[in-house]
Amino acid sequence: MSFYAVDSVTFSYTGRNDLFKAISFSLEENECIGIVGANGSGKTTLAKLMMGILKPHNGDIYLEGGNTQDISLSEIGSKVGYVFQNPDKQLFCPTVQEQMEFSSKYGGANCADRADYYLELFDLAKLKSSSTLELSRGEKQRLALASVMSRNVRFVIMDEPTTGLDILRKQQLENCLLSLREEGKGYMLISHESGFMSRHTDRVMGLKPEGVEYLR
Amino acid sequence: MNFDPRTKLIMVFLISSAAVFIREITSLFFLLLMTMFLCRYFSISLWSSIRKLRRLWSFFFVLAFIQSMFTTGGEVLVRAGDFRILTTAGLYSGVSIILRMAIIIYSALIIANTPALDIIYGLIAMKLPYEIAFMVLLAMKFLPLFREEFVDSITAVQLAGVDIYRIPVKKKLSIYAYILTPSVIKALSRARYISLSMECRGFRAHPERTSYIRLRMGKGDYLGIFAAATAIFMIISFNF
Repeated sequence: MSFYAVDSVTFSYTGRNDLFKAISFSLEENECIGIVGANGSGKTTLAKLMMGILKPHNGDIYLEGGNTQDISLSEIGSKVGYVFQNPDKQLFCPTVQEQMEFSSKYGGANCADRADYYLELFDLAKLKSSSTLELSRGEKQRLALASVMSRNVRFVIMDEPTTGLDILRKQQLENCLLSLREEGKGYMLISHESGFMSRHTDRVMGLKPEGVEYLR
Repeated sequence: MNFDPRTKLIMVFLISSAAVFIREITSLFFLLLMTMFLCRYFSISLWSSIRKLRRLWSFFFVLAFIQSMFTTGGEVLVRAGDFRILTTAGLYSGVSIILRMAIIIYSALIIANTPALDIIYGLIAMKLPYEIAFMVLLAMKFLPLFREEFVDSITAVQLAGVDIYRIPVKKKLSIYAYILTPSVIKALSRARYISLSMECRGFRAHPERTSYIRLRMGKGDYLGIFAAATAIFMIISFNF
């Protein structure tokens, strides 16, 4: 049984023009996969479908054998971390510290120690008491990554995680991805940066309306 | 037939004003029928509107129930010992509230289903200063923006592994308090960026604005307003 199984999924926002039709693929828990595609090809939509935020019009998505339509968002979220394309959508706590501690405080996740580690790793320790609304785009992106990584999830879906990151912070993210691999965790990377993608993924899938094709 | 936005604004003004002043249930019922007919005419799906606003409807039903319990007078319909739980006057008052709210909501849907820019040009053509007309647009946008921000935050909370629907009420309230302030600030900030981008495009740089859109009231518009006003006058004057 695969960790994720996408089975003949069709989705459309309008109900008329399908964004993609009957796509199928499967992912293992320790697999590092990249998704590429033109603007508007449905990369973010696919990630949202896999996280259960959107429901497929046809077909099913299975997470560890359970249909994501029958599993609560919190249950999916406790297994799979999702870094939103827009970090503003992900940050909902008043301060950086509260954002990092939220899951352990309310969700019972054991991540207090990891929170400090990832705050240090992403150069956010000095901003602990800052308001999340006052952060720059890059800082928000780093906080979104840190808050997801610290939760010790088994698989991570990252939607354009390099957006807004400078060279140094991109290197920090690369180190973070390497340590995820070392821990035996998998991830799905959506990005337009081919170099970054080729360094950190085992295979790359191209998303097209008629389906997915393996590019590498 | 495509009505001028001013025609829609005038119709909605007439209907909602009548809903406030009419006291008789039967007159309110006929006014509701007329509003629903107009909604259908403007291609608004009544059933999907009811489904979309189901939480609001439940709130109105609770409101009507409370109102009917606290309004005394008339014959007692339901009694518990010495307490009069429901009287005919209470029932009358509760039904009136539901009908009145339904009329106001359906008439508001006529405006809500008209493109926002059409409404603005309609208001400007009715001699409202354009700054105020655009302020109305921004105000209309604020609630959906706030709702969107709040829904996004709830989704993010759940994806952080917190089952907001199953945790104790005290924790749930604490989470809502957590996300409320950032959601309001984010919505305000987005509204501010909209106004900034409008100013960057020369909004208010000159006392007058030019527009490619020229609104013209045709015979059909005058006929529509006359028909709506006559129907409302008949509903009020017949006093069913």
